[in-house]
This record gives sequence, structure tokens and C-alpha cells, in this order.
Amino acid sequence: MNILETKDLSHDFNGTRVLHSVGLNVKQGERHAIIGPNGAGKTTLFNIISGTYVPRQGKIFFRGKDITGLPPHTLSRMGIGRSFQITSTFQRLTPFQNVRTAVLSKRGIRLSLRHRLDKMVGITEETDSILKKINLYNERDIPASLLSYGKNRALEFCMAMATDPELIMLDEPAAGMSRDETHEAVNLIRQLTEGKTMLIVEHDMDVVFSLADRVTVLHHGEILATGEPKEIKENQAVKDAYLGEVEL
Amino acid sequence: MKNNKRFLLICLLIAVILVVLPHVAGIVKTNVFITFAISATFAVSLNLLLGYTGLLSFGHAMFFGAGAYTTALVLTHIPGIPLIPTVLSGAAGAGLLAVIVCPLLARVSGTTFAMLTLAFGQLLYVVCLKFREVTGGEDGIAGFPIPPFAIPGVFSLNMKDPFNFYYFAIIVLGICLILMWYITMTPFGNTLIAIRDNPRRASFLGIKVQHSKAAILFLSGTFAGVAGSVFALFHNVVSADAVLNIHVSFSPIMMSYVGGLGSFIGPIIGSGFIGLLDEFTSRYIQRVDLVNGVIFILAVMFAPEGIFGLWWKFRNWLSVGMGKRKSQEKS
Repeated sequence: MNILETKDLSHDFNGTRVLHSVGLNVKQGERHAIIGPNGAGKTTLFNIISGTYVPRQGKIFFRGKDITGLPPHTLSRMGIGRSFQITSTFQRLTPFQNVRTAVLSKRGIRLSLRHRLDKMVGITEETDSILKKINLYNERDIPASLLSYGKNRALEFCMAMATDPELIMLDEPAAGMSRDETHEAVNLIRQLTEGKTMLIVEHDMDVVFSLADRVTVLHHGEILATGEPKEIKENQAVKDAYLGEVEL
Repeated sequence: MKNNKRFLLICLLIAVILVVLPHVAGIVKTNVFITFAISATFAVSLNLLLGYTGLLSFGHAMFFGAGAYTTALVLTHIPGIPLIPTVLSGAAGAGLLAVIVCPLLARVSGTTFAMLTLAFGQLLYVVCLKFREVTGGEDGIAGFPIPPFAIPGVFSLNMKDPFNFYYFAIIVLGICLILMWYITMTPFGNTLIAIRDNPRRASFLGIKVQHSKAAILFLSGTFAGVAGSVFALFHNVVSADAVLNIHVSFSPIMMSYVGGLGSFIGPIIGSGFIGLLDEFTSRYIQRVDLVNGVIFILAVMFAPEGIFGLWWKFRNWLSVGMGKRKSQEKS
């Protein structure tokens, strides 16, 4: 069953065509990667699905419901979580407060004035257990701005996961990381997204082929091929367009 | 537990000081203290926007003024209205104004927010100057009756007595401060600082940024209205220049910056500091604003976290020093 479907999705910026008639299908429970050369429209596609832009043309369906043009907060509440290419955490807040914000939002406690936060033991415990999972418990009370880049990335990913999304979208989770950090990040992603549907945009082919169950190749705003990593590696059109440049 | 006891002790100490203050310090200094309490409440209400939500308002006086004018108008036109409803009407007037302006203000942030609040604030100022039939123009509204604080048949306290008024003002403003502090401790308070730090991330976590901003505008405006209402009762005169002028909008910004943005206590420290400074410098020179301006510039340049931040740094420095000394003793 498809959890996410885009139909005939097209978009342009001031007349420059970025996406053309994209029909992406993401199945329930799979890890789906979108790859493509720079400027292929990957991030635009990502932003349209997650509600940042409204597409010029076409429709997006999440679990069969039309979600085209819905704002980010509505999509988040429906079960779509995302991380950003450029790290996007609450910099002046501590990791604890960062994750707690996500945990509170998941439980629908956003504008509540009924309880004091420090008395909500359940929330604190859940937040702490998430921090322990990503090895940030020891740094729980220092501002996120003082954490290393890798830890900030982990924190952001884990905030997106803390809202318990059905579909998690990661925009270049390994961008700017060293080999070791990338390896660690991939392990963390694999561990935390067990059984979830994931849509990922990534440049690092090692990450893509070690994580993804299926790969979609985007080229000049159109889908070139979709298939299992093995098929993609052997697809001649893909090789010509993109992978030829990269050592596989 | 230890912290709790210390906290209770400090609260008790503050309460005792507040109770005996007028009898020890005399009525002139007590009035200075009421002015401080009003400006502290006003500054904290602004800080809910500025420090907690990251919204710089250049027109917060409109809420203060709305509270003051509503109270004055209610007292002028409704004879025999009791004291508490007049304060509540001030809050309601300011809250109503917030409800009117928030559909526009909640949609914007940054410079646009600052300019729009400035425009609304100035608009209200000019309206109050020109709408003489209701607001009294430049003269404002004066000499309205101040009702006693009374429960019919039980007791009645004359509010024209400075001591009685002092206790009344301190209790009303104290309740406001406690309520605002409580807001910052709730999940809603957490939502606000999340929006301040990264509104985009907040919305992708499912937070309705505009709704939250509208809600805090309403709450902040309402509390500013209570401060304005007490101001009106205290001075028994309300004029556009005293409650709606652009200076009235700027002073809580300055107090928040000097005291320390983002911390709850900062604006209170700031208003105390600026209040004392005004008292002191006005004895020697006329250009009080000049001194304030220099202090403001110094705070922005050298102490961006304000007096509260300096104190925090000093404490850390002290504890690090103590730690070193202790470890030296051990070795």
C-alpha cells in the first residue's frame, strides 16, 4: 500500500521549471531514497511534500487523503515529520527542552496553561529516555548551540522522531559529516526508524545504498527511474545521467 | 526540598518587607515603590513578547493606555462601580484591543512586527489626543472618583488613603506577576520560547505559530492593561502623554534590556534599577534621559544579558573560584 503518492506534481520558480509531472510512490514501511545530481529538484520536491511550498500543479496524497497545500503544522499533526538540510534545532534551548517540545507536541499539549512543566513527570521521563537513546543525556542541560555539529544533527533527527511520525522525511542527514560521524548517523537512523516509513534525500551514495529499500532517481525535475538499489545501480539511463560520475 | 525551603523563606521575607515598607520608609518613598511595581508589571508583560516569544513591540503603551483610559472612562461614566470591576474593565479594555490588532500582528514578525506595533501605538495616541469629547484631548481625564475597596456590610477601605492604596496596588500587581511567571512555567511558555528560537522548526513540530503568537499578544496586552489601570487609579489622572506616548512604549524595552531579556526576573530588576537611577539623577541634573540612554547603550554593548546575566556570570565565577580553592585545600 502506498502511504505517500504524488500525482503529476509540477513546480517552477519564476518560470524556471524545477519539477515536471513527478509521480512518486512511497510504500508503507519502506525506506525510500531520492537521489539525483545537483539542481535535480530533490529539495524542492521535499519542501512541497512537507508543506513549505504549494505546488503549481498536481496533487499529493498521504494515506489516501489529499494533503496538497496544507500548512506544515497540519502535516506534522497528521504524522509527517521532517528534518532539514541545514541543522534546525532550538539553539538557545537545551537538548532536553528541544526534545520535550517535540514530545509535548506529539501529545497535543501546546497551548496548555493547566499544568506546570516541571510537575509533568511523564513528559520528563519520556524526554530523558529519548535523550539516553541518542547518547545526549549527559549534555541534557547545556544549550544546543554549544553542542558539536554531529550532535546537533542527531538532536534534530531525534526531535523529528519524537513526534512519532508515520512518515519521516530526512533532507541530507549526513551532509557535512565526517566518515565516522556518517557511519554513526546511519546506524542511529536505521535503529530509530525501524518499522517506519522513511523518505530520504541524500548525496552520499554509501548512505543511500546502505539505508534504502527503494531508490528514485530525479533528473532535471523528472523521475528517471525507480527501483531497488541493485536495479538502479545497473540502470543504463541512470548511469548516463548521474552515477557515471560517482564510484559505486 | 532544600531549594523549596529557601524559596519559601525568600517569599516570606519579601512579603514581610512589603508589609512593613510604608511604615518604615514613609509615604513618599512608598509612592516611588508603587510606581516601580507598576512599571515592573508593565515591563514583565512586554518581556513575555520580547524575551520569551522574540517579538519586539514598539507600541506596548497602547495596551497600558487602553487599560488606563478604560478604567478612567468607566469610573467617570458608571457611578458607584466597585473597585475590582474597574481594574477588570481595564484588563478587558486592553485585552479587547489585543484581540482587535492580533489578527494582523500574529501574522508578522521581526521588523514588520516592530513597525506595525509602532503604527498602532501612535494611531491610538493620536486618536486619544483628537477625540476630545471622550478622552479629554491633551488634558486627559482627571478627577474621576476612586471607589473604596469594600464588601458591602462587612468592611470598606478608603483608597484615597495612601497606605490602603499601597497594599491594594501591591496585591493586584503581585498577582499579575505570579500569573505571568506561571505562564512561563507551563507548556504554553515552552511553546513561546520554541517559537522565539526557531519558528520554522516549531511549525514542523506541529505548533501553530500564528495562534500561539495571538494568544500571547492577548495575555501580554491584558496584563499591561492591569498595570495601566492601577496607574490610572494611583494618579487619578490619565492623559495621552502619560500613558500612550512613545516613551511609555520604550521604557519597558529599556528596562527589559538593562535587567536581562529572557529571564523572568530581569525586567523587574531593570525597572527597579532604572527607577532608582531616575530618582537619584533627577536630584542633580535635568537630563535624566541622557543618563538612561548611556546606561542602555552600555548594557547593549557590554552586558547583552543585562544585570541578571552579569549576576549569573559573577555567581559562576565565584563558584569556580571557590571550587579551585577547595581543590587546592584538598591537595
